[in-house]
Amino acid sequence: MAEGARPGPLGGRHERPDARAKVAGSTRYVADLALPGMLHAALAVSKVPSARVAGIELAAARAVEGVEAVLTAADIPGKNLVGVIFEDQPLLVEDRVRMVGDRLALVAARTPEAAWDAARLVRGRLEPLPSVHDPVAALEAGTTRVHDTGNLVRTFRVVRGDLERAHARAAVVVEAEYHVGGQEHAYLEPQGCLAIPEGRDRITIITSCQCPFYVQQAVARVLGLSLAAVRVEQAPTGGGFGGKEDYPSEPAACAAVLAFATGKPVRLVLPRELDMQASTKRHAVVVRHRWGAGRDGKLRFAEVETFMDAGAYIGLSTVVAERANVSSIGPYDVGAVRVATHVVYTNNLFGGAFRGFGQPQVSWAAEATMDTLARALALDPLEFRRRNVLDGRRRRMCTGQLLPRPVLARECLDRAAELAGWEGFHAKPRAASGARREGMGIGLVLYGCNLHHGGQRLDRSSAVVILQPDGSVVVRVGLTEMGQGNLAACQTIAAQALGVDPSAVQVWQPDTTTVADSGPTVASRGAHMSGLAILDAVNRLRTRLDPIAAELLGCARDLVELSNGFASVRGEPGRRVSVASVATEMAARRIEGIATGWHRSKARAFDAETGTGAPYEFYAIACQIARVSVDEELGIVRVQEVSAAHDVGRVIHRDALEGQIEGGIVQGIGWATTEELKLDAGRLANPNFTDYLIPTAADAPRIKIAVVESDGAGGPFGAKGVGEPSLIPAAAAVRNAVCEALDVEIRRLPLSPPTVVEALGERHPFAWLIAGRKEEEHAGLATADRER
Amino acid sequence: MPEPVRVTLTLNGERRTFHVPPGRRLLDMLREDAGLTGTKEGCGSGECGTCTVLLDGSPVTSCLVLAASVDGHDVVTVEGLSRAGRLHPLQEALVSLGGIQCGFCTPGIAVTGAAVLARHENAPAEHARLLSGNLCRCTGYTKVLGALKAAATAGEENRG
Repeated sequence: MAEGARPGPLGGRHERPDARAKVAGSTRYVADLALPGMLHAALAVSKVPSARVAGIELAAARAVEGVEAVLTAADIPGKNLVGVIFEDQPLLVEDRVRMVGDRLALVAARTPEAAWDAARLVRGRLEPLPSVHDPVAALEAGTTRVHDTGNLVRTFRVVRGDLERAHARAAVVVEAEYHVGGQEHAYLEPQGCLAIPEGRDRITIITSCQCPFYVQQAVARVLGLSLAAVRVEQAPTGGGFGGKEDYPSEPAACAAVLAFATGKPVRLVLPRELDMQASTKRHAVVVRHRWGAGRDGKLRFAEVETFMDAGAYIGLSTVVAERANVSSIGPYDVGAVRVATHVVYTNNLFGGAFRGFGQPQVSWAAEATMDTLARALALDPLEFRRRNVLDGRRRRMCTGQLLPRPVLARECLDRAAELAGWEGFHAKPRAASGARREGMGIGLVLYGCNLHHGGQRLDRSSAVVILQPDGSVVVRVGLTEMGQGNLAACQTIAAQALGVDPSAVQVWQPDTTTVADSGPTVASRGAHMSGLAILDAVNRLRTRLDPIAAELLGCARDLVELSNGFASVRGEPGRRVSVASVATEMAARRIEGIATGWHRSKARAFDAETGTGAPYEFYAIACQIARVSVDEELGIVRVQEVSAAHDVGRVIHRDALEGQIEGGIVQGIGWATTEELKLDAGRLANPNFTDYLIPTAADAPRIKIAVVESDGAGGPFGAKGVGEPSLIPAAAAVRNAVCEALDVEIRRLPLSPPTVVEALGERHPFAWLIAGRKEEEHAGLATADRER
Repeated sequence: MPEPVRVTLTLNGERRTFHVPPGRRLLDMLREDAGLTGTKEGCGSGECGTCTVLLDGSPVTSCLVLAASVDGHDVVTVEGLSRAGRLHPLQEALVSLGGIQCGFCTPGIAVTGAAVLARHENAPAEHARLLSGNLCRCTGYTKVLGALKAAATAGEENRG
C-alpha cells in the first residue's frame, strides 16, 4: 500500500489534544500554580557589564517586610555553577561581573512585590573594569580578556577540496562582509518555575522549559543532590524557540537554592524586562565571504569566516557554532570549501539556542552571496541556483558527505518558484523608481536534522506506552511540547501504530521520574525522536497484545493487524475485535500493559579537525520566496507574500506542520526587518515590546505552502523535522527581494529603515537632504503626497 | 498600609465584590482574588495583549487597569466566553482550524476576537489590524486570522 493511502490519522488535521484547554484558559502555566505557604523569588542583577565585586550589601533588602531569605554565592549548598557544557558561569557572582544581568543575590519573600522591592535594594559594590563588545575586536592582541583563558573560545573548520585550483578556474569572485544581528526569542510566556522541596533530601521542580533533563542536572549540581533526588516536571510551556533550552536551568537553580534555604515552595517568574535583558539570544555574527564561480554559472569555491559573539559565557555557543560551521554553504555543489567559525567571548549578553541554531545567520549570508554572484554573472537568481543545486547525481554537501537520496533541492526550488509566480513577476516590467518598489527573492537552505555529530551522545530518546484496561492509551516521552505540536505528533504516531483513534491516546508532559533522559527538545528532533521511541514501545507492547488478539480472533499471531480501532485478521477485515476489548482481556489476565521504548540515532563518521564527513544522519531542504514592497523614501519593508516549499519526508499532523512553517516564516521576517537588539555597552536598551518589535497580525504576509513528500527518511513513518527549516530561509528571501526591488546590496541585518535608506546612498530620493547638501532646495520642497 | 478599596462589578455575568489594595491591577484581582488564571501576564506594560479582558464590551489590557476603577462596571474574561459549558464560536474555530500552538496568547486573542465579532466588524481586511494588539510568537497569525474569518462568516450566516 502506498504510504499516502495508509489508513489512520497520519497526515491528517484532527484536533490538537492541547487546544481546547488552552483556548478556554484552563491550561495551568507556571505562573498559574500556587501552593500554601509558597514564597516568591526575585533576582538582584548587575547593571554593568564588567566589574570586580568588592562586596554585596544585603541589609536593606533583608529589612523589607515579608522577605524571608536573601542569599549570595556563599549560601549555595552544592556547586556555584550553571552552564550546560562548560564550567565558566556561576549561578551567583563571586568576584567578577562579566555581563549585565549577572546575578548578585537571590531573594524570597511572601509577595512578589516585596521580593522585587528587596532585590532592587541589594547593592553590589562593583568596581568597573574594562569591557569588550565587538567579537572581531575581542580577538585583537591586547584586548581586555573576559575570562583568563582568552577571548577565542574555539574555532571550527571545514577544509575540503583544492582551493588553489578552484581559484584559477573562477571567472567571477565576490567578497563580502556581513553583519548579522541577534534576535530575542520573545516567547509570550516569560521564564518561570516552581520549586517544591522535601526537607533537604529531594526536590520537585515544575518549569516552563524545553529540556527537563538539563534542568535536572543543573538543580542537582547546585544543591549537591543525586539526579534521582531531583524530579523535574515540564509545565505547559508558552513558547520556547530555543530560549527555553539551556536558560531555564538558571531560574530553576535559583528557585531551588531558595527553596532549600527556606524549606518552602518558591516560585520565580521573570518580569519581561529582566527576561529580555538576562536570557540568551540568537548570536550576533560577522560573516566574511569570498566565493567564486565560473562563466558557466557553476560555483567553484566558497571561503567563509564567521565570528560569533558568544557573550560573557559559552553556554551552548560552541554547539551552535558546530551547526553554523557545516551549514555555511547551502545545498550547492562546491568543489573547494574553506570555513572557519570562531566562537568569541565578549561582555555582551550571552548567545544561546534560537530556532535554527547558528544556521540562519550563515545561511542568510550564503544566500546573499548567491544573489550577488548571479548578478555578477548576469544570471537570474533562480537559474543560478538551478545550475548549482545538489540533486540525485550531485550529492556532495559542504563537508563532503553524500546526501542520502532523494535530494529534493531542485523540487523545492521549482515548487516555490511556481507558487510565487517567479517567471510572471519577472516578465512584467517594474518601476525602477518611485516610492513603492517591488521585489522577489529566494532563500534556499539545507538543514541537518537532529543533533550534530558532536552532540551524538545526547541523541537518544525514551518513551513509555501504557494500554489501559478500557483501551485508552497513556504515552509519556522525554521531549517537550512548547507550542510546536509535539503532543499532537506523539498522539498521532501512537494512534497510527496502535490502530486506534487519536482521541483514545493521552500524551502527558515529560517528567524526569517517568522516562529516561532523552536529551533536549531542540534541532527539530521532537516528533522524530519521541516518535521513534513510541514506535519501539508499541512494538514491544504488541509482543503481548498480538497473541491475545490472535486468540480472540482465532488466527495466527502474525496475522493480527491494528487499524481503525480494531484488531483484525490480515486479508479478512470482517474478522475483527476492538482494540479496547483486547485491552480489557489483557487486563483480566493480568498481562503487562506497559512497555518502554528507546531510540538512538545512527553512528556516523565525522572528522572534527577538518570538518569533513557526516555531521548529520539526514537532511531537510526548504525553499522560500518572498515578495516585498519597499517604501524607498522611508526604508520600510513590507513582506507581501511568502511561498514556501518544504521537503518534510512524510506529514504527521498537517495543521501542526503548517503552523510550524507559517510561524517560522513570520519569526524569520521579524528578524529580517524589525527585530533589532540595541546594545549599549552590553546593556539591552530595548527590553520591551514597544521598542523591540516582533511582527503583529497586521505585519503577517500571505503564506502559500507546498509540502514536498518523499519516502525513505529515518523518522517515524518517514517524517523529517520542520521546526527550524521553516525559519531559516525567510530572512534571506526577504533580503534578496529588497535588494532586487531597490537594486542594491545590503549586508546588514535587520533591514531596518536606516539600513535600507543608507544602502540607497546617493540614490535615495532625499539623499541631498540627508547629506546636508543643496540646502537651498529644502525651502522649495513640497511634501510629496504619495498614493498609498 | 492603605485602606482596601471595595470593588463591586459584574464578572462573567455574576455580581462579585472584592476588597483590594488601591494600587491593585485588574489583572491581579482577576488572577489572585477571583482565581481566574485564564487571563495571562506576558509583559505587564500593555504591549502584548495576553491579559486582554472585556471592560463594558471593549477589549482592554488588564495589566494597565486599576482594579478600583472597574467598580460598577462589567468585565468578561476568557472564562466568561463559554456559554453553558460550550466554547464561543471563535474558540471552536481556533481549535478546529489549528490556530493554537503554545496557547499563552490564545485567551487574549479569543477575548479580542470575540469583541470584534460582537461588533460585527467582519471585513477580513480589518481583522489583522484589529488583532494587532495581541502578539503571537508561534502561529504567524495565518490560522488565527483564518479562524476569526470563519467565525465571522458563520456568524453572518446565522444572523442572515
